[in-house]
Amino acid sequence: VTAPAWHRPASVDEAIALLSELGEDGSVVAGATAHTLLRKQGLVSPSAIVDLGAIDGLDGIVLTPDGGLAIGALATLRAVETSPIVRERAPMLAHAVGRVATVRIRNQATLGGNLAHADPAQDPPVILLALDAQVDVAGPDGRRRLPLEDFFVDVFETVLGPAELLTSIVVPPVPATSLVGYEKFLPRTADDYATVSVAARLDVEPDGAVRDARVALGSVASVPMRAAEAEALLRGSSRRDLPIDAVVEAVTAAVDPVDDVRGSAAYKREMAGLWTARLLRRLAAAPPVAA
Amino acid sequence: VSAPGAAPDAGTLEALRRPEERIDGAAKVTGAAHYAADVARPGMLHARFLASPLAHAEIRSIDVSRALEVPGVQAVLTGEDVRGIRFGRRLQDRPVLCWDRVRFVGDRLAAVAAETVEAAEAAIALIDVELDELPPVLDVDAALAPDAPILHPDPSGYAYLDGERKPVPHLNVQGRLLVERGEPDLDAVFARAARVVEATYRTPMQHSAYLEPHATLVWIDEDDVAHFVSTNKTPFGLRKQLSVATGLPAERFEIDAGYIGGDFGGKGYSVDEWACYFLARATGRPIRAVMRYAEELGQVNVRHAALMRLRTAVDSDGRLLAHEARILLDGGAYAGAKPLPHLSLAGGTATLAGYRVPNVRIEALTVYTNRVPGGHVRTPGEVQALFAGESQLDELALALGEDPLAFRLRNAVREGDAGAAGEQFHEARAIEVLEAAGRAIDWQRPRPAGRGVGIAMSGRHVGAGKFPLRARLHADGRVEIVTALPDQGAGTWQVLRRSLAVAASIDESRVVLNRVPTSGAPFDQGVGGSRTTHLGSQAAADLGRQLREWLEERLPRAVPGVAEGAALRDDAIVGAAGEPLASFDDVVSRLLAVDEPAELSTVYEHAPHGPGEPGDYDFCACAVEVEVDPGTGAVRVTDAVLAVDVGTVVNPVAHRGQLEGGFVFGLGGALLEEMHVEDGAVTTLSLADLKIPSVADVPRLRIVQIPTLEGPGAFGAKMAGELTNAPVGPAVANAVAAASGVRVRELPVTAERVHRGLTGRSADS
Repeated sequence: VTAPAWHRPASVDEAIALLSELGEDGSVVAGATAHTLLRKQGLVSPSAIVDLGAIDGLDGIVLTPDGGLAIGALATLRAVETSPIVRERAPMLAHAVGRVATVRIRNQATLGGNLAHADPAQDPPVILLALDAQVDVAGPDGRRRLPLEDFFVDVFETVLGPAELLTSIVVPPVPATSLVGYEKFLPRTADDYATVSVAARLDVEPDGAVRDARVALGSVASVPMRAAEAEALLRGSSRRDLPIDAVVEAVTAAVDPVDDVRGSAAYKREMAGLWTARLLRRLAAAPPVAA
Repeated sequence: VSAPGAAPDAGTLEALRRPEERIDGAAKVTGAAHYAADVARPGMLHARFLASPLAHAEIRSIDVSRALEVPGVQAVLTGEDVRGIRFGRRLQDRPVLCWDRVRFVGDRLAAVAAETVEAAEAAIALIDVELDELPPVLDVDAALAPDAPILHPDPSGYAYLDGERKPVPHLNVQGRLLVERGEPDLDAVFARAARVVEATYRTPMQHSAYLEPHATLVWIDEDDVAHFVSTNKTPFGLRKQLSVATGLPAERFEIDAGYIGGDFGGKGYSVDEWACYFLARATGRPIRAVMRYAEELGQVNVRHAALMRLRTAVDSDGRLLAHEARILLDGGAYAGAKPLPHLSLAGGTATLAGYRVPNVRIEALTVYTNRVPGGHVRTPGEVQALFAGESQLDELALALGEDPLAFRLRNAVREGDAGAAGEQFHEARAIEVLEAAGRAIDWQRPRPAGRGVGIAMSGRHVGAGKFPLRARLHADGRVEIVTALPDQGAGTWQVLRRSLAVAASIDESRVVLNRVPTSGAPFDQGVGGSRTTHLGSQAAADLGRQLREWLEERLPRAVPGVAEGAALRDDAIVGAAGEPLASFDDVVSRLLAVDEPAELSTVYEHAPHGPGEPGDYDFCACAVEVEVDPGTGAVRVTDAVLAVDVGTVVNPVAHRGQLEGGFVFGLGGALLEEMHVEDGAVTTLSLADLKIPSVADVPRLRIVQIPTLEGPGAFGAKMAGELTNAPVGPAVANAVAAASGVRVRELPVTAERVHRGLTGRSADS
């Protein structure tokens, strides 16, 4: 009986080959912040660990031709948070990523690892859902791109096969007329996981009409989730008169939280509605979007 | 330089005001300090343990045959191998490994020693246990029911250290403290009161949350002496416990405490040491165990959860007339983590320690349940009792329509008054600290909706006892303190160094510390009980005075023609007019050139005060301003003040750290720290779930120090470590009530509890 074998492949292809060989025995880590905690608590006990840290070129943050962002899976949360182009193109993404834990964690944890960990209490998935992010996946059968919304399956579970890797995160351009915000409810400590979190995006016409809307929530279900009914209620409304009561009702009905140390399910359900309302009111009161 | 009891002179005060450079600072920041988990021996094996998954069960069978087949496994022990051997600090009621019954989730069933931690863990996973579940006793009320299952049916066989255990009113009671003062018929007093408030308060199981986990390395040498490197702040205590439990002489156990990385009450009790000792016997090899944090949280030593029923009455003048408190402290499955003779918590009767109440009945019971053993966590008992008492005072003031601070000032002890539990004070500083805290927080200022202020006060004794200490003056001018006393991080060694240096009037950097195992130093009580600065400073200052006298007597030998009146001052020999005559180094090297080092030794003793006798107390008032979010119930502390009466400060940096750290510790307990338990099992098994405050969560904090210089320690020192945390919880709860109208009678004052109150549901259900 020994400690797990620690592999450091030099490329994505090498990592995929290794994982194909290891099958269910292999466990992928990038920054290893979450995985180490799970291992220490005995929740995972892999016989082999595939550490992606030696792969070059997977941590870039670049503009895409359409003005969106492509973020390499190995970019650290701190790199995303402080990237000038993220701050310019998607400032709320930089903000929300900067709310994760502490700067020590953010210096080590990666955006790809954060998503692949599939923890419904994390901050980045929530804002990325509101921004319609997509993820690139590479595996033995080639590469594919899918909406982030389709990526999460359950607590700590994604659609990734045992030999598949998340390689990059693509954020479409955020229209200049969009109002985007993120709220993280932290009644305990500044470095805690959210009791509930909510991200919203309102794509607003010059006359105030809401052309499209996104409402995403964290810590309220087995996966980071979008509140589709709330989005439908907002779509076609006016920022001067958002149907907030109805949205709160829709959000409250859509979430499915559990009792834990951060609160009872009933409290989280109520807080999900409250923070959605607070966020929408704040966005509605933001300076008018330039025509 | 002062003698005990006298105020220090200006020169001494100036020397004490210098920010200290800690004696252990360089070793700690460079990594040179080795903690127990850093120590290894050739041939060392690693120990892991099998813990009970059930809160209460009979053991039907344990099969270790598959575990023994794991490569690298050298020994597997079960309760059968150590049948009858139990451990504990005072009452030895906890089995090293259970042989007939398990009494909490985490009780040990087996121990494995293997070449690697992984092999030991693999073996643990292969041990087959059959348990027959028994009905668990999961709360104190259930435990005290007449027909409750009895967790320890025959405690008469348990060893009790130093004396005889007092009888208990129910077999599920571990220990009891009872205070009765004034009229015997308390009901009659309540019946004639102008106003009575009655309520039930709760505080949760809480953890010390030290950084360093418990660790130990045990080996047995060729003379059959068992050596322990152990994270235990009372090494002589552990030695004695081992001796009593095994029936072997104390000299057969050698305890080396090493560096200790944080304590907060939890490092006086050792668990792994016991099974490791038997594994070392079984294998003949050194055994090391390092606790996982999940084990720390679920298996060792927690703050007793408390259920507290109080009623308090005032007369028509608004003066406290009667107070009754029944404090039920959840002691968990074993009493062995508690050191005091009564097996209760000394602070458990401190509901109203700083207030005059003529008629009182306070009972503090520690109770057996099928939960993690309750032990000492910073300011044990006071944290629970004070929350109830100080919350109730506010409720009483509000019922009378009176300002809570004015109500306290009317009822707080003044010089010569006794506290509610009969405490007698050398210096009663209650009024001063309450007034100072009120001024600093600007108590009377009107505050906007959603904001409010709250206050609470603690009066806590300065510990006492016996403190032996030795030192050697070497020819090179070094002064070597020799002690087995550990420093758990509070700065004990630096107290010894500075007290010796200041009393001798030598440069502090000359004083070095030689920490030795138990065989190399006289018995000491270890660190704890708010006694260490008091006693240690006195012992070290006495050595400093001895050193000065030793040197001054011998000056004629070292300084030819020296005149009368020459003295050691500021690290040099000076004449009667203060003129420099010789350097300390020259004189010492001449005096000790041919001799052995000069040996100095002392035993400082200050007996704890008996009932009704005046004792030394620190007073502290904590006032906070909070803001309550009306939508969520979330509480933010926007301003905080501590007014403290702490005597002379020996080490200003560490002292400030104790006061501030105590506040933050209290803030965690006030707002967020709570160990969750399901079916008797702790479910908050990591510090990611059981959060504690970080520096980002600390509000503006000001400390007002009442200028007093009459503490019992050297130079007038008192204590600081267990003072400021206890009043924070009730101050916050009282401020929340002022800000929102919601009275939360249960710690922590979480957002959800306040929200429940705001929305009209009961806040404390």
